[in-house]
Amino acid sequence: MLENLQQSLEAFDLALFWEYRAVLLPGLLYNFYVFFLTVGVAVGLGLVAATLRLSSNVVLRWIGTGYAELCRNTPEYITLIWIFYVPPLLLSAALDRNVSFSPLLAAVIALGLASSGYFTETFRAGISSVPRGHIEAARALGMSRSLTMWRIVLPQAVRHMLPEAMNQMVSLFKSTTLVSLIAVPDLLYQVSLVSNATSKGLPLYSGAALVYFLIIFGFATLAQRFSDPWRQRSR
Amino acid sequence: MSEVGVTSTGRVVVKVVDLHKYFGSLEVLKGVSLEVHQGDVLTLLGASGSGKTTLLRCINHLEQPNSGEIWVDARPMGFRIDAAGRRRRAREADVNALRMDIGMVFQQFNLWPHMTVLENIVEAPLRVRRWPRRDVHERAMALLEKVGLVDKKDQYPSRLSGGQQQRVAIARALAMQPKVMLFDEPTSSLDPELIGEVLGVMRALAEEGTTMIVVTHEIGFAREVSDRVIFLHNGLIEAQGTPEEVILNPTSERSRQFFSKILH
Ligand SMILES: Nc1ncnc2c1ncn2[C@@H]1O[C@H](COP(=O)(O)OP(=O)(O)OP(=O)(O)O)[C@@H](O)[C@H]1O
Ligand SMILES: [Mg+2]
Repeated sequence: MLENLQQSLEAFDLALFWEYRAVLLPGLLYNFYVFFLTVGVAVGLGLVAATLRLSSNVVLRWIGTGYAELCRNTPEYITLIWIFYVPPLLLSAALDRNVSFSPLLAAVIALGLASSGYFTETFRAGISSVPRGHIEAARALGMSRSLTMWRIVLPQAVRHMLPEAMNQMVSLFKSTTLVSLIAVPDLLYQVSLVSNATSKGLPLYSGAALVYFLIIFGFATLAQRFSDPWRQRSR
Repeated sequence: MSEVGVTSTGRVVVKVVDLHKYFGSLEVLKGVSLEVHQGDVLTLLGASGSGKTTLLRCINHLEQPNSGEIWVDARPMGFRIDAAGRRRRAREADVNALRMDIGMVFQQFNLWPHMTVLENIVEAPLRVRRWPRRDVHERAMALLEKVGLVDKKDQYPSRLSGGQQQRVAIARALAMQPKVMLFDEPTSSLDPELIGEVLGVMRALAEEGTTMIVVTHEIGFAREVSDRVIFLHNGLIEAQGTPEEVILNPTSERSRQFFSKILH
């Protein structure tokens, strides 16, 4: 009984986590690394797809919608594995030489695709939330399409979509913990390495959970703080 | 235009020739022609759906007419004649340039909510006209003075009443120093007690000699301020002339019906 309790307590022995910090914390850097690269990819693809979805051309609209739905409705876990294995196989066959994706590249592509689907929808909703009349008022004063986009539509769209986009970034950060699956050496991956080597995995996992929690909680709180005043100003 | 008993001899600012506009298969304007001279106030009256808004929106090319011509300040709006003498679509930059000279005031005000009152007013003069900042701000303040809203200059539009918002919208349009002002039912979405303040501003503009085309249901205002009135019915001009001729002594059966309903 006592022994059991002691064992359970050991599972929370964060000193062990601290002891291996030299191995573990660089792993955390990988999470941020993947996160920032993925945000770039996802926002870029999301803007392109949102533009397609808002196009006056039916075919382009369909392509944009199809793309977003495909990305949004495939589990990230599967996208990740699929991107890591399948496109290199196809490329190898097509080019007749051995192609492989580095884990980091595959992770950024896969997570980028997956979350770009959500960003597409957020951007589209943000841009189309701007009333037609505001745009017409600008055009009636002689403002060009691009000036109207830049000065009238985007500032309002950003205010409208900021809270949602922030939430999506928070989930994106959570998703970066999946990349250990394909051997990107992130925090979780390092934890599993150390735990295999030392057979003292539990405290390390507890430590990782705590670290992730603190980061994500901090990020979410900041996101909230940051987006609230923006929202209020717009109406 | 002496044939309709108008004394104005100013130069033609807006000229519309045989304008046709369809929405799908619905013909909304069926050949409308009119001229507005400098300093004139033209009022467009007509039942809902008669095409008043569409006509105004064609003049600044927010709607593209299907045929006919629009000239603003002797420049073609929305079309150009190429070297071979054929009619072509205008370049977008030319449309934008001509729009700078046409102020428009909408029923729904359409102020930009992320900008203060002053920012709303100076936006286009600074970024479209590229006039110097100091002059633009000076003139913006003068306009705010004129519409009685100097103390609101740093407020966001959502903090203003409808009447105040519409007065800011008028100032925003005037800040471009347009050659003609278009008003589309500027008081229709206001509470009755706020209508007067907006009509007051418009009346002052008319007295200063601003060239205006006004769509309104305020018959009293139309009678008092207009140099000329056009009564639209189903996309055609049914009657036109001085307010006395068109409103008080209507000759056509339709305008008689329309005005007797409004006046009594
Ligand atoms: N964008 C559009 N698409 C299709 N039909 C339209 C469009 N805009 C206007 N219409 C139709 O064109 C006709 C004329 O509309 P318009 O808005 O010009 O009338 P109006 O005289 O301004 O009426 P109101 O007094 O109600 O403002 C109406 O039958 C209207 O339903
Ligand atoms: Mg109308």
